[in-house]
Amino acid sequence: MNLDAIRDCLDGSIPGVMATCAPDGTPNVAYLSQIEYLDGSHLALSFQFFNKTRHNILANPQARLLLIHPQTAAMYRLSLRYLRTETEGPLFERMRAKLAGIASHVGMSEVFRLKGSDVYHVQAIEQVPGRPLPPSPPRRNLLAAVRHGTQRLAAAADLESLLEAMLASLREDFEVRHAMVLLLDGGGRKLFTVASCGYEQSGIGSEIPLGEGVIGVAAREGTPIRIAHMTSEYAYGRAIREAVAQGDEADRLETAIPPPGLAESRSQLAVPISAGRRLLGVLYVESPQDLRFGYDDEDALVTLAAQLGLAINLFRDAAESAAEPAPAQQRRRRVAGPTVTVRHYAENDSVFFGDDYLIKGVAGAILWALLRDHEAGRSSFANRELRLDPRIRLPDISDNLEARLILLQWRLLEREACVRIEKTGRGRFRLCVERPLQLVDVPAGTRP
Amino acid sequence: MVLDAEHVRFVEGAVSIIVAARDAANAPELVRAQGCRVSRDRGRVQLFVQSAQAQALFDDLRRNGRLAVVFTSPSTHRSLQLKGDDASIARARPADLARVAAYRAAMVAELGRIGISEALARALLAGDDATLSVVAFTPAAAFVQTPGPDAGRPLGAAP
Repeated sequence: MNLDAIRDCLDGSIPGVMATCAPDGTPNVAYLSQIEYLDGSHLALSFQFFNKTRHNILANPQARLLLIHPQTAAMYRLSLRYLRTETEGPLFERMRAKLAGIASHVGMSEVFRLKGSDVYHVQAIEQVPGRPLPPSPPRRNLLAAVRHGTQRLAAAADLESLLEAMLASLREDFEVRHAMVLLLDGGGRKLFTVASCGYEQSGIGSEIPLGEGVIGVAAREGTPIRIAHMTSEYAYGRAIREAVAQGDEADRLETAIPPPGLAESRSQLAVPISAGRRLLGVLYVESPQDLRFGYDDEDALVTLAAQLGLAINLFRDAAESAAEPAPAQQRRRRVAGPTVTVRHYAENDSVFFGDDYLIKGVAGAILWALLRDHEAGRSSFANRELRLDPRIRLPDISDNLEARLILLQWRLLEREACVRIEKTGRGRFRLCVERPLQLVDVPAGTRP
Repeated sequence: MVLDAEHVRFVEGAVSIIVAARDAANAPELVRAQGCRVSRDRGRVQLFVQSAQAQALFDDLRRNGRLAVVFTSPSTHRSLQLKGDDASIARARPADLARVAAYRAAMVAELGRIGISEALARALLAGDDATLSVVAFTPAAAFVQTPGPDAGRPLGAAP
């Protein structure tokens, strides 16, 4: 029997128990707080305390594990051999994030701290004789859901429809109600939300630093993180809320767009999106239900995220090498109504319409360049020229300009600004301005 | 005397019971037990075990008599471990079967408190009572096993 056939037993709803033996022949038996599936013949256990189990396996690496299937009560006994302890890296971070979820579930956040991930080889798996319940049919066939999701992604023609296809697949193929896609800033230090569903506020444009919360840790370590129970420690909004509470004005602007998220999230899964070895962003789903996402859900979303990553890469290159001719310059619509003052702060490229904050950073710089060009009589633009525009200063050649434009487009819509971005073709768009604008540049050194 | 009256109430109550032994090469073995009885003088502990689930464990106990047993409350995580080195195995008697039936009923209620369905709890504790066995031993040492830094502390020692 392969370990992946019984990995539902590792999900922690019914804790596993392990027997070990001291060199003097004294057996010991202890409950395990966390078991992590590695592959068909390896698993890892959390090392939190220097307890009897720890002493025993260091001296005598043989162990025996008793597992219970959470749906059928079938019992399995596994013969294990201790191999090594990892104290950093993806496995360790994944387990640390999960442990935070488990610890907060049992009210022991202060007590549970991961010291290491003990890796074991599974030498044999035996089903214990008994009368388990018949397995109930799964909520749905996840392989069929992956296939359908894959077809949706493959049908997308550009980044925007790709993101829509991803969210539609999560909603309709996976019955996931709350999800978001974040992309990595070209500078590689933070993620920004570019699409979401199931939240009162879309949170598009909100930022999460690398290493912060479930999403930030999944991105930094390049590993999926799945948490089955509610956790406060890895709440991605935590640092942001704290900054709001105690920060100065500059910090407040960082948080002007709060990240979306469920207040009572009880299951979370963050999956890195990459193309080849390069991290592009994170796909994140959550649920108010405990134990909503299992190993199979994780496998399914990792598979879809891989395809999403390849497609994002493809569209990024395509949008900027697009050879479509520029559409004939249309007559600019007449603008009417009172003049709106738009301020741009060079300090952080933040842009305000009247007193309303809209966006900052790269997207702010893009908007400001567009507004200046519009003032000079232009309204049609190409992605490629923006990448080369010295006013915009993209953090990195790999930065996803298309994603910045999508988030800018969304922010303008959500804030009901008097400016809109309309796509006119592959790699091309038009800036529509509905009110007379007065553009005010505030030089560096003056904070908004 | 290792156990006091309160310990006896705990180990005889609605707690999960896991028994571990080891073979001549110190390779461990374990099984879930289905109830516990402590003698009136608190010197001897009996555990009820499904024979079909415990052949290897019984072989180990017959050879060296050494065992460890952990008792855990599913709802509070309170946990106690007993160790012994004189385990013996016998067939269950009718009075033991009544004890096991009462244990199952108490466990169904206890597991229900943490959201485990009656069907699942009954499946977990199902077995062939015609071949039920009794593992008896003298507790030589007891340890606090509630998860946390104190796990493994001998009873009576300062935390």
